[in-house]
Amino acid sequence: MTITLAIPSKGRLMEKSVAALKDAGITVTAGETRSYRTQVEGFDGLEVLLLSASEIARELRDGAIDFGITGEDLIRETIPEADRTVGIVARLGFGHADVVVAVPEAWVDVQAMDDLGDVAGSFRARHGRRLRIATKYWRLTQSFFSRIHGIQSYRIVESLGATEGAPAAGSADIIVDITSTGSTLVANQLKILSDGVILKSEACLVRSLTRRRDAGDEQSCDDLAGRFAS
Amino acid sequence: MPATDQAMGEALDQLFATRGAAPAATPIILPAEPYLDTAGEALRRRIFLTRGEGGENLCLRPDFTIPVCMRHIAEGADLPRRYSYRGLVFRQRAGGPGEFVQAGIEDLGEENRATADARAVADALASLETCGISLDSLDVILGDQGLFEAVLRALGLPEGWQRRLIRTFGHDGQLRAALENLSRGPEGALGGVAPDLLDLARDREEGALTRLIRIRMEEAGLPLHSGRSPGEIAARLIEKVAVAEARLGEGPLQLLETFLAIDCPLGEAGDRLAELMGTVGLDLGRAMTAFQTRNLALQAANVDLAHVTYRAAFGRPIDYYTGLVFEAREKGAEDPLVGGGRYDRLMTILGADTPIPAVGFSLWLDRIASVSNSRVSI
Repeated sequence: MTITLAIPSKGRLMEKSVAALKDAGITVTAGETRSYRTQVEGFDGLEVLLLSASEIARELRDGAIDFGITGEDLIRETIPEADRTVGIVARLGFGHADVVVAVPEAWVDVQAMDDLGDVAGSFRARHGRRLRIATKYWRLTQSFFSRIHGIQSYRIVESLGATEGAPAAGSADIIVDITSTGSTLVANQLKILSDGVILKSEACLVRSLTRRRDAGDEQSCDDLAGRFAS
Repeated sequence: MPATDQAMGEALDQLFATRGAAPAATPIILPAEPYLDTAGEALRRRIFLTRGEGGENLCLRPDFTIPVCMRHIAEGADLPRRYSYRGLVFRQRAGGPGEFVQAGIEDLGEENRATADARAVADALASLETCGISLDSLDVILGDQGLFEAVLRALGLPEGWQRRLIRTFGHDGQLRAALENLSRGPEGALGGVAPDLLDLARDREEGALTRLIRIRMEEAGLPLHSGRSPGEIAARLIEKVAVAEARLGEGPLQLLETFLAIDCPLGEAGDRLAELMGTVGLDLGRAMTAFQTRNLALQAANVDLAHVTYRAAFGRPIDYYTGLVFEAREKGAEDPLVGGGRYDRLMTILGADTPIPAVGFSLWLDRIASVSNSRVSI
């Protein structure tokens, strides 16, 4: 009987995840080799895996692991109707970053989503094409623009890196991206809209609600979650 | 009354033929771009999307309107022309199978819009009857974006406001929110605009604004010609400042709300509208004439106006719909059995050289079958 928890496999996210577990009385030691498995002390029957942050979100979506530590942005982007599939056990207080709508500073007439709606609405008539948004967050973008702000007329340009450079490169007009300090946006002369914060994200301990477990493992999961209850 | 789906389908084929619509064959696997470009990104999560080996987006046919229109443009056939279709469409739905059968008619190029609109409504209702559904059991709802736009024009609202309201037409919550913003006035609306730019905008110094914006764009390395231009941004800032410092008065707001609340038999709608606009001495002009002409055409096509409900706030917030929208559902039910409308802007978006008037309707045969089968068994 084991339950599985996946944590980010490298960098500060990994260090902070290990520290958060330590605070909960669980010691995780990564193997010497570049293995995905770890040694765990302080919680019987817990296996801790090292995976990439985006893979953790996918594994949670598929119910392939019991718990994962990853960013809320990836959870909400990867999992349709996330609140039914997973539960956020604890917000861990690191990995803070916002998913935001940013437009060129030179768009001096655009301060809020309403302005953007006006611009998007008349974009085709003026330019023969839709307003283009560069992002890797198409699900978050679409639900924010379409469902919350009623903006239908735009196209998403998938961008997997250096999204903030898309307006200058001419591949998109505006961006939806993640930012922690905003300095990259400023350096690229982009500004965040006043009501353009889609999600305030941080690293979370997330539990799969769809994974099938026997009663013993279910109890273990409750125990693990209990250690993070504040 | 046709008992099987097959019999129902064949009866519809026959009806469509007698109404002068010729079947248009369309492929099941289609390029996805025209869908994402016209209906918008909101469709992305509802269609079955895949990528071709060369990276192109492909989808399983989510509806017939777009492939029928694209086929027409590619073939360059004479107009006017009516196309019919019946076959599988594919959409991801939470509460139902991902594939289901639709049938309908697209009516392209008929310059007499009243006649074409009336034909679409009449044929849609005749289709339901052919499938064994009695019109007495239905709610038939009709809306007209043209009238809404005419009310905004008649009230003399600034163009920026008109566009913002039109954009939300058909989406009650958002329309309400937009109206509220407009009645609240300028507070906050200009927050974040640099004071020097605000002054220039108030003085309508478009040239000076354009120069300042051009400098910013050049500093940021933004392309000056592929997206929004400095002049466009300057002009919109001036408009935005003018609009923000105006304010939707009590009177116009109330009139708009009374208009949007109209929900009455179509036969009484003309009088209701005339009365409402008459109290404030406004004239809806051509839009009202078009509305009345269409009602006459509906009667000529044997549609009983007492059986149709006109709902002033009924519309579809997709920008290629331009005028008539309608749907029919079982009384008290949520899902339409048929939906239709006028989409005069779609053909040019899809690549037609000149604007082509277009109106059509689509039947949800799975829903219709379950309604008519449940009747049979009772």
